[in-house]
Amino acid sequence: MNEAKARYTKDNPKVEIEIVDMAKADLEQKLHTMLASGVKDGLPDIVLIEDYNAQKYLKSYPGAFADLTGKIDHSKFANYKVGLMTVNGKVYGVPFDSGVSGFFYRKDLLEQAGYKPEDLNNITWDKFIEIGKNVKKATGKAMLGFGLDDGGLMRIMLQSAGQWYFDKNGNVNIANNEALKEAVKTYKAIVDADIIKKTSGWNEWVAAFNKGDTASVVTGVWIIGSIKAEATQSGKWAVAPTPRLNVSGSVNASNLGGSSWYVLEGTKGKDIAIDFLNKIYASDNDFYQKILVERGAMGSYLPAATGDAYSKEDEFFGGQKVFTDLSNWMKNIPSVDFGLYTYEADAAIMANMPDVYSGKITVEDALKKAEEQLKNQIGK
Amino acid sequence: MKKIRISRILIYLFLIVMFIISVFPFYWMIVGMTNSPVDVIKGKMTFGNHLLNNAKILFSQYDVKRIFFNSIKISVLTVIGSLAISSMAAYGFEFYPSKVREKTYAVILLSMMVPFAALMIPLFRLIVKLKLLNTHAGLILTSLASVFIIFFFRQSFKSFPKEIIQAARVDGAGEFKIFTSIVVPSMKSTYAAAAIYSFMTSWNAYLWPLIILQTDKQKQ
Amino acid sequence: MQLRKTSKSYEKTLDRYGWLFISIAVILLIVFMFYPIVYSLILSTMSSKGIVQKFVGFGNYTRLVKDEMFLKALKNTFAFLIIQVPIMLLLALVLAAILNDKTIKFRGLFRTGIFLPAVTSLVAYTILFKMMFSADGFINAGLMRLNIIKQPIPWLMDPFWAKVTVIIAMTWRWTGYNMVFYLSGLQSVPDELYEAAEIDGASKIQQFFHITIPMLKPIIVFTTIMSTIGTLQLFDEPMNLSQGGVTGATTGPGNSLLTLSVYIYNLCFKYMPNFGYAATIAYVIVFIVAILTFIQFKVAGDKE
Repeated sequence: MNEAKARYTKDNPKVEIEIVDMAKADLEQKLHTMLASGVKDGLPDIVLIEDYNAQKYLKSYPGAFADLTGKIDHSKFANYKVGLMTVNGKVYGVPFDSGVSGFFYRKDLLEQAGYKPEDLNNITWDKFIEIGKNVKKATGKAMLGFGLDDGGLMRIMLQSAGQWYFDKNGNVNIANNEALKEAVKTYKAIVDADIIKKTSGWNEWVAAFNKGDTASVVTGVWIIGSIKAEATQSGKWAVAPTPRLNVSGSVNASNLGGSSWYVLEGTKGKDIAIDFLNKIYASDNDFYQKILVERGAMGSYLPAATGDAYSKEDEFFGGQKVFTDLSNWMKNIPSVDFGLYTYEADAAIMANMPDVYSGKITVEDALKKAEEQLKNQIGK
Repeated sequence: MKKIRISRILIYLFLIVMFIISVFPFYWMIVGMTNSPVDVIKGKMTFGNHLLNNAKILFSQYDVKRIFFNSIKISVLTVIGSLAISSMAAYGFEFYPSKVREKTYAVILLSMMVPFAALMIPLFRLIVKLKLLNTHAGLILTSLASVFIIFFFRQSFKSFPKEIIQAARVDGAGEFKIFTSIVVPSMKSTYAAAAIYSFMTSWNAYLWPLIILQTDKQKQ
Repeated sequence: MQLRKTSKSYEKTLDRYGWLFISIAVILLIVFMFYPIVYSLILSTMSSKGIVQKFVGFGNYTRLVKDEMFLKALKNTFAFLIIQVPIMLLLALVLAAILNDKTIKFRGLFRTGIFLPAVTSLVAYTILFKMMFSADGFINAGLMRLNIIKQPIPWLMDPFWAKVTVIIAMTWRWTGYNMVFYLSGLQSVPDELYEAAEIDGASKIQQFFHITIPMLKPIIVFTTIMSTIGTLQLFDEPMNLSQGGVTGATTGPGNSLLTLSVYIYNLCFKYMPNFGYAATIAYVIVFIVAILTFIQFKVAGDKE
């Protein structure tokens, strides 16, 4: 953002931009409080909102966000990003960072188990588990750091199949969702196969691969910064496409996280804010190259993929053109409607997982229970 | 005699264990100051050599001096104001018994039980209407009358002998004089404890300042 | 007759002073508490999606009964209340009694040290606790070396042990805090009382039950009520110790750490914002605390 500010104010010296950095949870609290109180004072001109929450904000606070249809060329962004910020045909945001996912792995450890990079392309989760078992046999290391109550992987699996917790009309789609059933079964299979190091919370999860206790991590592109933080592992990493689910329609590309810019309606700086986003975030290819190098932030601006920074070989990943690969996968991410209740659904399912792991209830029953509870909770 | 000595040793042992458990995280924080972020996440427990580097990052990314003095300013003003106002109120409730005031007190106590999350949105609207958004006054005013501190003072005043006040009245001392020159001085340890708690609450306050201070300049 | 009249007008003067003393606090509270409370009470009759609201009357209250999440949160909160508060307060009381004894050496050092957790930054302490209580963390390693356990305890990964961890963490953080209240209360207990008891041959334990506890009664009531309120509004520890991975789907394994306050928070800021329903739960908390407070005052024999 600082880079964007510098670029914009160079051409528009009269504009003053103030950037306020905030943790995600903090921002949510503040934004909800201000929007709910219905006062315009003190609202920022631009906010960055997590993609999973986009529909929720747009539909809970009608009129609070500016319609950007036609003011920004949305065709230049990854398709799935534009879908999630559209309400009734109107597009409200400017897509920013991508959460395109990958199967990041330690080349050295997988080689010890007899796997070459070619063997890891476009695999299924079943294959992934098999590899994990062999890695454990050969190296004694766990395949994954795994939070038993973390729904991140489930989201990756679901989106790879173009499915979500809800159907296209926003109705709960849990008990009879084949992709979800397969995802929950995969969760249980991963736990049963004893190929994981159980972790609780972000720090432990990151520590698992930083310490070299685990051989891989399957998650969004934003993890690269944390992987690279452990400089001693340079050259040992590589990235393959995300494993797919064993259901029809599942592809080897998915997403976790990511966020986009939104402009608030009714603030003084609205028009300048839109112009700013348009000139920098929706036009400036060079800008995206620069923030990738300096910040490790991968945008969802498609033309950026052909830039120098994106096509550079990365020494940390043994010379792999990481961002070229990720950009290619990004184009294939199925677009799904996250709907209004992603976090509620996540909680409803994960709350039953301890019983699924222990075998106390079947996957089918767990999903039935989750669907019922969720319907009660959101009143549908 | 021997029995006493053994129990003494046990008591000290207990204290030392409690002390170590309590202080250990502090030690860890200080160690953390000298290590790189990766080492901290990995759980390194020994001193490292990243202290200067960490300090550099801290001072280059944040205006530490301003943050610190702003926090001090807000906290000190809140503590002084809240101690004066709350102890006076507690004194009024405890030493001037009346049915109406007792009911007022009950309502006030009740208000303490409402979780803050439920009040935040209306309070925010109020602050905007009073034009206190983005001001330190908005922060201080809302925390001056602390029910918690009033409650603590009142409970502490209960052990203050009422006869002393009666005697002072007979001697012709004014009501405020009795409060400031007899009651306050003899309740020093209560004031000290209340000051610690008030300061802590204000110093650690996070959510509310986050909401009503908009720009980094105000926050720091 | 004359005398009675002056005493009546004297009472009136005193009454006026009573109001005077409490006036500033009351005015501030009316402005900054009363309005928000009334507003949120009205809100609790609405069901909302952000600013899209509709009136439901008591609908939110009847909805509670069917809401499994709410019931789970209520159960968890009570588990913390019943187990953690007594342990912590007793420990604080014992520590205060010991550290009030003038014959103990390094009193100041011990007091300060034991109070320190209360001022430790929340973020630092939760990171550390998560590390210490991780499966291959410091605590498990220690217990295994001492041969107390054979298998590592899944502290934060099992619904039961997650609760135990939070109870340990809360006790660690708040024991010293409560101890200081007791110590400040003990300042007004004359030393002669203990000396006289000593001469009468009363043991330390007898002194604790017959002098310390009765003299501290008002403060004990105070800490009990504050801890009850604190626990029913418990938020920091479950939230920060549980944040499950990247997306943090549940609060603790199987929602074992979901408390009422965390649920309120989720309803406002994490889920589809339903401020009306959140306010309803807030008033359920008020109702429970009010009853418990009333009972605690009654048990303590206070007249209010």
